[in-house]
Amino acid sequence: MNVMKEIKSTRIGDRYFEISHSSGLKIFVYPKENYSSTYAVFGTKYGSIDTCFKTSEETEPNCVPNGIAHYLEHKLFESEDGDAFARYAKTGASANAYTSFDKTCYLFSCSEKVYESLEILLDFVQSPYFTEQTVQKEQGIIGQEIRMYDDDPQWRVMFNLLRAMYHKHPVRIDIAGTVESIAEITPELLYKCYHTFYNLNNMVLCVAGNVDVYKVLELCDKMLKPSKDVGIDRIFEGEPDGIVESRVEQRLSVAAPIFQLGFKEKAGKSRLSAREIADTEILLEMLASDASPLFRRLLDAGLINQSSFSYEYFEGPGYASVIFSGESKDPDAVAEEIKKEIAGMREHGLDPAAFERSKKAVYGRMVSSFNSVDNIANTMASLAFTGHELFNYIDTIASAELQSVQNRLNFQLRPEYCALSVVRPVEA
Amino acid sequence: MEMNNRMTEIEQRSVCDGVNFRSVRDTKFKTVRMSVNFLLPLKEQTVASNAILPFLLSRASREYPDFTKLGERLAELYGADLSADVQKIGDVQMLSLYASGIADRYTLKGESTSTELSRLLCSVMFDPPFEDGLFPKEGFEQEQRQTIEMIDSEFNDKRTYARQRCEEIMCKNEPYGINRYGSKEDIKNLEREELTDVWRYLIQNARIEIMVLGDCDPQPVFDGFYHAFQKLGKRSTESCQTTNVKKADQVNDFTEKMDIAQSKLVLGFRTGVSLQDEQAEAVKLMVALFGGTPNSKLFLNVREKLSLCYYCSALYISMKGIMLVQSGVETKNIEKAKDEILFQLDEIKKGNFSDDEINAAKLSMCNNYRSLSDSLGGLEAWYLSQTFANYVKRPEEAAALISSVTRQQIIDVANNITLDTVYRLVGNGVEEE
Repeated sequence: MNVMKEIKSTRIGDRYFEISHSSGLKIFVYPKENYSSTYAVFGTKYGSIDTCFKTSEETEPNCVPNGIAHYLEHKLFESEDGDAFARYAKTGASANAYTSFDKTCYLFSCSEKVYESLEILLDFVQSPYFTEQTVQKEQGIIGQEIRMYDDDPQWRVMFNLLRAMYHKHPVRIDIAGTVESIAEITPELLYKCYHTFYNLNNMVLCVAGNVDVYKVLELCDKMLKPSKDVGIDRIFEGEPDGIVESRVEQRLSVAAPIFQLGFKEKAGKSRLSAREIADTEILLEMLASDASPLFRRLLDAGLINQSSFSYEYFEGPGYASVIFSGESKDPDAVAEEIKKEIAGMREHGLDPAAFERSKKAVYGRMVSSFNSVDNIANTMASLAFTGHELFNYIDTIASAELQSVQNRLNFQLRPEYCALSVVRPVEA
Repeated sequence: MEMNNRMTEIEQRSVCDGVNFRSVRDTKFKTVRMSVNFLLPLKEQTVASNAILPFLLSRASREYPDFTKLGERLAELYGADLSADVQKIGDVQMLSLYASGIADRYTLKGESTSTELSRLLCSVMFDPPFEDGLFPKEGFEQEQRQTIEMIDSEFNDKRTYARQRCEEIMCKNEPYGINRYGSKEDIKNLEREELTDVWRYLIQNARIEIMVLGDCDPQPVFDGFYHAFQKLGKRSTESCQTTNVKKADQVNDFTEKMDIAQSKLVLGFRTGVSLQDEQAEAVKLMVALFGGTPNSKLFLNVREKLSLCYYCSALYISMKGIMLVQSGVETKNIEKAKDEILFQLDEIKKGNFSDDEINAAKLSMCNNYRSLSDSLGGLEAWYLSQTFANYVKRPEEAAALISSVTRQQIIDVANNITLDTVYRLVGNGVEEE
């Protein structure tokens, strides 16, 4: 039996429905009044880091080649009777998919024929079809995707940083794998991964926009193939607290140096709370936003620019770090300034006025994200996999308190767990 | 076509000579977005001094002369954004100032963000923090450095870089070939003393398009601009034209070497048809069918059938009447990819495509048009581009026009397409791990 719950936010003036479907799938439907388009995501909690796993029905763990989750994403579009894009061509939907560290999502956006498009999505994601020949064909395409990322300095500087911070955790491995690792992928391995992770109990469907919840459910009742709820044990080697090395550098064809500075944190099996994440967002806004003293100092010294300097809280299963990035003529000087500012914050405490401002800024940006149906659907999917709830998160920001934000500094931004990754221009 | 979609209601009026005001009020959005867009002809002599101006303006005003104080004010306005940009629309340089933030009803303490944002936008635009009649030295030097760094940063993205190089080579004798920021050299040589006059010229002589979108009453915003322009007195507007080269006489062939893993191929074509022409919709559809979707000729053949690349797509720059095809391939496959791209174009010229392919391209484009009304950025870009058309169409009207394009029209426009430039960015052949 399906169980449906309505979730409302007076703050945002919106509502959505959460359905525990009898097939095992969690479904979220977020109708947006007066919108023309609809955006749907069908995702599985399975990403590039899940290279070693065991189901509750198996005795031995499976270890699979790097890049296989992404490879599977490409191949799932093909079915025995043609590919999904050819079917979407008849509805006009714009379809795509993406693989990240911890999830794989298939999506479409459309302004007509919503339910026909949704039927295609539900059907092809539940219909794997892999043969020697189709798997072989993809080697060239994904090989070129990997090569493209080899030339992407932003991508390189990030993975160089992750490798400098993480000893064992598979977050250090490129999402698409390497040309060598993907050569080992076979139809059998793809089926193995598919049947483990594309179990509806491990998946979520999120639909936002010009959509009716009952029509979505009717279609789900027809299309979803019930799955047995099998436990999946994701096996990660123990990750030490410390980093691998404090500085890494690569030379690439860039005009000026780019950098990422990461502060690794302890991250166990359980995920962070909404409070911890919201407090960190506010803390980072206070530390390094456009309005912060740190930003001003770096800008005045000619060390950063407005168009490239940014920061993020990068966290997932078994990993968490704060990452600053940008372009700079002197990345080491930027790193020193950031560390100095953090030390100052620890010593002198946080400025209450800056806290109030930063809270409002983080809150406002979250409100703005509710304009976009793709944002809503993708955020609901991410939150579902981490056990958080969308409207609760915005309330958590609105109710943030200075002391709690200050306390995050005890766990975060520790100089001893800091690494700097730099990409410099090739020598002439 | 299902008619359950609401039409996008746009209101248009004139503020004064050469200054237009367009607004779309819709409470379905949780934010407001305002922009002031200055349109000027792209010229070597003025491109750099124009380009730095919006960045200089958006960093401070007389009321908030300090960059950080302005930033603090924006944070207090719930993380509102006040920013600048420079774009190239055909042979026109467009300088923009943006302000956006959440709608009043979502503030925690009942503040009016939209009134304050429109006031801030007017104040940075009309009331810079002049010192002795000049932009402050510190801000000028910061923006000079940051503009140069933006040019550097475009070099880092090889796909963007290759596209820009192809356009530059193809349009070397047209304003469109000029970098929208000017050259690094030009920016370095800018004098702070000249910029006050440039600012005055922008306000007095550029064509200006003001856009206000989202959940806010546009009237007070209009009034603010109206009074500010009234104070300035009579304007005279410099007109902007774009040249449209109908046919390529010969093919430019250009290869550049660089230390990269994947080579890039960009083909530049002349379509002979630009936004103002009747056949523009047919060209848009033809380009979608050729290389605009995952069901297009290029995707299905260059990528799926031959496995030569991850991306191979076509795009139509309607303001300029240009079509670009971009791909990333192994060096040894460049010519093979190029031959296949040209072969697929010939297939369209010969009419070798099915009705299903036409319908797929139509549905995909209509979907894009209709989705525009759900995004403030999308609506803004759409209506700005429409100001160059013969008359302003709503996205829904464009969808209807695309749906009526015939097979023969597609074949006809395809047969007028000529290859102008082949640009290759080639790796050194060093295989990296």
